[in-house]
Amino acid sequence: MPFQYYLFLSLALFCIGVTGVLMRRNAIIVFMCIELMLNAVNLLMVALSKMFGVADAQIFVFFIMVVAAAEVAIGLSIIVMVYRKIQSVDINILNRLKN
Amino acid sequence: MKPLIASALFGILMMFAALTVKERRSFSVFALVLLALLTGINIWELAETRQALSSNNMGGVYFFKNMVKVDAFNLWFNTLMSALTLLYVGLMHRNIERVGLHVGEYYALIFFILSGIYLMSTFNNLLILFLGIELMSIPQYILAGSDKRNLKSSEASLKYFLMGAFSTGILLMGMALLYAALRTFNIEQFNFSMLGSNTILAVAGIILMIISFGFKVSAAPMHFWTPDVYDGAPTPFTAFMATIVKVAIFFGFLSIFKNAFYTLQGTWALVLGIITALTLIIGNLTAVFQQSVKRMLAYSSIAQAGFMLFAIIASNAMASKGILVYAVAYSVATLGLFAVLAKMKDYTYDGFNGLAKTHPYLAAAAAVFLLSLAGIPATAGFMAKYYMIAALIEDGYFIWLVILGLLMAAVSVYYYFKVIMAMYFREGTPELAHPVTVADKILLGICVALVFALGILPDMLLSCI
Amino acid sequence: MTQLVYLVPLLPLIGFLINGLLWKSMPRKTAGILASGVMLLAFALSVGIFFEVKNNPGYGTVVTLFDFIQSGALSLPFAFQVDELSSLFLLIITGIGFLIHLYSTAYMHDDPGYVKYFAYLNFFVFSMLLLVLGANYAIMFIGWEGVGLASYLLIGFWFKNKDYTNASKKAFIMNRIGDLGFLVGMFLVIYHFGTLAYSDLFMQFADGVPANVSQGVINAICICFFIGAMGKSAQIPLYTWLPDAMAGPTPVSALIHAATMVTAGIYMIARSNIMYNLAPLAQNMIAIIGIATVLLAASIAIKQNDIKKVLAYSTVSQLGYMFLALGVGAYVGAIFHVMTHAFFKALLFLGSGSVIHAMGGEQDMKFMGGLGRKMKITQFTFLIGCLAIAGVPMFSGFFSKDEILAAAYMKSPVLYALGIAGAMMTAFYMFRAYFLTFTGAFRGTHEQEHHLHESPAAMTIPLIVLAVLAVVGGYVGLPAVITENHLLGRYLSPVVTNNLASGHLSHSTEWVLMGISVAAVALMIFLAYSTTKKGTFKEPSGLGKVLANKWYVDEIYNALIVKPLKHISLLLDRYVERCGIDGIVNGVGRLVQWSGGKIRLLQNGQVGVYIFGMVLGIILLLIVGLLFL
Repeated sequence: MPFQYYLFLSLALFCIGVTGVLMRRNAIIVFMCIELMLNAVNLLMVALSKMFGVADAQIFVFFIMVVAAAEVAIGLSIIVMVYRKIQSVDINILNRLKN
Repeated sequence: MKPLIASALFGILMMFAALTVKERRSFSVFALVLLALLTGINIWELAETRQALSSNNMGGVYFFKNMVKVDAFNLWFNTLMSALTLLYVGLMHRNIERVGLHVGEYYALIFFILSGIYLMSTFNNLLILFLGIELMSIPQYILAGSDKRNLKSSEASLKYFLMGAFSTGILLMGMALLYAALRTFNIEQFNFSMLGSNTILAVAGIILMIISFGFKVSAAPMHFWTPDVYDGAPTPFTAFMATIVKVAIFFGFLSIFKNAFYTLQGTWALVLGIITALTLIIGNLTAVFQQSVKRMLAYSSIAQAGFMLFAIIASNAMASKGILVYAVAYSVATLGLFAVLAKMKDYTYDGFNGLAKTHPYLAAAAAVFLLSLAGIPATAGFMAKYYMIAALIEDGYFIWLVILGLLMAAVSVYYYFKVIMAMYFREGTPELAHPVTVADKILLGICVALVFALGILPDMLLSCI
Repeated sequence: MTQLVYLVPLLPLIGFLINGLLWKSMPRKTAGILASGVMLLAFALSVGIFFEVKNNPGYGTVVTLFDFIQSGALSLPFAFQVDELSSLFLLIITGIGFLIHLYSTAYMHDDPGYVKYFAYLNFFVFSMLLLVLGANYAIMFIGWEGVGLASYLLIGFWFKNKDYTNASKKAFIMNRIGDLGFLVGMFLVIYHFGTLAYSDLFMQFADGVPANVSQGVINAICICFFIGAMGKSAQIPLYTWLPDAMAGPTPVSALIHAATMVTAGIYMIARSNIMYNLAPLAQNMIAIIGIATVLLAASIAIKQNDIKKVLAYSTVSQLGYMFLALGVGAYVGAIFHVMTHAFFKALLFLGSGSVIHAMGGEQDMKFMGGLGRKMKITQFTFLIGCLAIAGVPMFSGFFSKDEILAAAYMKSPVLYALGIAGAMMTAFYMFRAYFLTFTGAFRGTHEQEHHLHESPAAMTIPLIVLAVLAVVGGYVGLPAVITENHLLGRYLSPVVTNNLASGHLSHSTEWVLMGISVAAVALMIFLAYSTTKKGTFKEPSGLGKVLANKWYVDEIYNALIVKPLKHISLLLDRYVERCGIDGIVNGVGRLVQWSGGKIRLLQNGQVGVYIFGMVLGIILLLIVGLLFL
């Protein structure tokens, strides 16, 4: 399969992620869409690594996964913290800070 | 590599100390000692590296399979950042202790951020850059939400986190596209001359990286998080995020653009120019309207970022020097101002009314910091702006940006002087949240002295490289 | 020793900082001792440096302290030039400075601003030392501005008197006009030669005019620098501030407005002598302005009745001699005269201070007379000063003035004749002042007569020291007819050498010239004696009235420059400023406010909107970036 296919697939996934972030109001779903963006990058990196025949991008992918895991841990706890206060995870309710 | 390992270890140490130590003040003392130690280790590393460099005549010393490259310039920057953090904790430790229950953890996070800063300034590989950015960002999400009783703090944290994670995605996509074009993550092996049809991938990658860095340094139109997060986060952590963290990201931003992407400057400089212009306009004009000094400082940090972006556009030797001067000048003045702000009960402009009568020392120090931020001659802020403008003029293509910058600097005088007006020419009885101690006065005095010293002899800072 | 040179300016700076910062709590006595003490130490150091330089001819070094400004190709280190010229000036400044500090402890004894006064005085000395020590024009300029500021502060020291503050403003503004010339000159030097350091700059002149610049450029630079010197050293047309500067305390007049600061212009030109040698046009201009100043100021001095005004105009006129010397290339003569003038003019000023002290603040000679009976030391030392300035043989002024006149003769006999005329007037007005003050009958009130007394030792000791110097100071530069060994000329030769019109003056000519000047001076002293014998004052008329009114120069300046400027600025204020500029400024302000208010609305607190804005930005920027690829 030509390399372009992988590129377009991962760009498509990335754009779906971005669109999700833009459209959804539920913080958890927004966060899932961000994960989708990261995974699109992972897919691209792995494909590139296979094509170039070097492993460095695959190693990079491991780091991305580790960091993503850390972000999940932090992110979910922040969302829980907010949920406890306002009993909702709707990001549009949160607009106490503005101007 | 000693400072990196040490700061990570110190962070872990602080976390374990949180299990056993109960007294809040002892965390601060412990953190101050460790930070002083860390600064010392940095100086040691700097001295050692200089010696090694002078004997082997190389550009730098490499670690971790060429993924990290240290030289006198970035080690000196690390030393400055450690010293500034020491100053910051000295100024703010009372406020840090009052944020919440987990004082030890806050300090641990600050140490982790420092490790991130060290990676950020010495990376030689996009992987390390990525790790550095994340190591700096993730603790900041926590710090922003550390005042758990306060919904504003939680809101700030969530906003920062969502947008920050989003920008991480963009950064990674940019790196992946660059890798697709260049086949390597090592920035010294980047070769833009043989790209051919892959140029579009590389340029798209660079623009995505500009966007992501722009987000971290709060450049328009990626700045929206800044006012809300800075306003909502506990004041001492806002001070940290707005100063040391921000200038460290700028340092990384400059080093990748100067060392790796400079050959393609023609393609990305215009994008960056647009971003810079937007940042200057939005930051300065919106700051004019603020009622709260804390929020004004958030916009001011956007406005100052606009000036620092000059260095990235120019990406020349003058810019490197300038970013160092700007980093210290801006950090010292803003830290000092936040230290004064943290003493106040009321963060609005009216809260400062008559401060000069009741607390002349505090008011005088604040006035000096404000003058420096406004870029009045004989202060550090003036020299910093001078270097930025000189770098851009040397580059020669963005004269319109220089003019815009000067106009906006004039606008900035308005909102900075509003505080001075309130302190000196309005009547009022401002209330302090905390008493001003002798230590506070000494540290503020040091900041004031630094502001003037840098304003008169900026080369002092550069002669150590 | 030379490595310690930074201590010389540092000591007065420390004195200034301590006295200046603690002026509220400082005991008066300590302040005086501190200020004088640092001067004594600085003087001791200067003596050490002087002898080290003297024993190693051509030893001149540059001591770099730190990098001051580093900008592109231009590098300005904060460096001191230690060589023959600067070490001689160090000696004059710290030596006379110390004596005057000592004198001031007694003279200013009852003044409420005592501590502040010494702080200013120390600050002045610090700036003056920077001026002469700087190894480039930038450092000199810092000192130059510093002494201007100190002079402004000290002239207006008794700031409650409106006339005095006006005098200080006048001095400041006149000096600023000159400073502009100096600045433009510096910019020209940077532009054409890329450096401000003396050593680098003068190296480029080693073989005459450098190939890449024209003669005109050098003339322009020299004239610009001379305009700076005009302001600081009170030459036509910028001299009118100096007589007014006598509003300051008398020791200040002695130190700043006679011995040191006003010679800064001479120092600058002597320092740049290599450049001036290549600028004949500028040199001629200096000589002409110098001689014109000599005559104008001396003629005014004849009809002044205020003892300090006489001395002030005399200073202007003596400075004119120094510029005449510079203009005819007799640099050594100019510096020689700076030195001897510093001695006798400081002496005369301090003597007049002693008189004013005794008279309880009276400065008008109409009410003096016969003071010699009560004030023997003052009278005697003042007489020595008069003999020296008049150029009576064996006194210092004779040698230095003669050297200048001889050099002028070589250039042109006309200059010489005019110089002699000036010297005659000098002898006349000085002895007129002397006779009016110290001899004859007392013309003041009875109360004043009762109050007359000799001044305390702190005042008389400096007088005696200066009197001795005013006598022997001339022997370092004996004329060629007596000995070929011109000590000062030989000492200065590594940095300053004369560039005279014709090589040599025959001994017989020189004797004749000397004879003429001695005879003329003797005649004028006798004339002065005979006109003042009666001790009566007529209302001046005719030419005398013009002279008494200082040739109406102040009035002319007022009508030609001040008044039109006032009218123009009123016009500008009414129309351009109020309607045009204010309108634009306020309009811009309103625009900023309005647009700020609109942009603010973007920040509505919704994360969704923020991310949307960001994505929109990304898309647009990507389009821009990829379109311009």
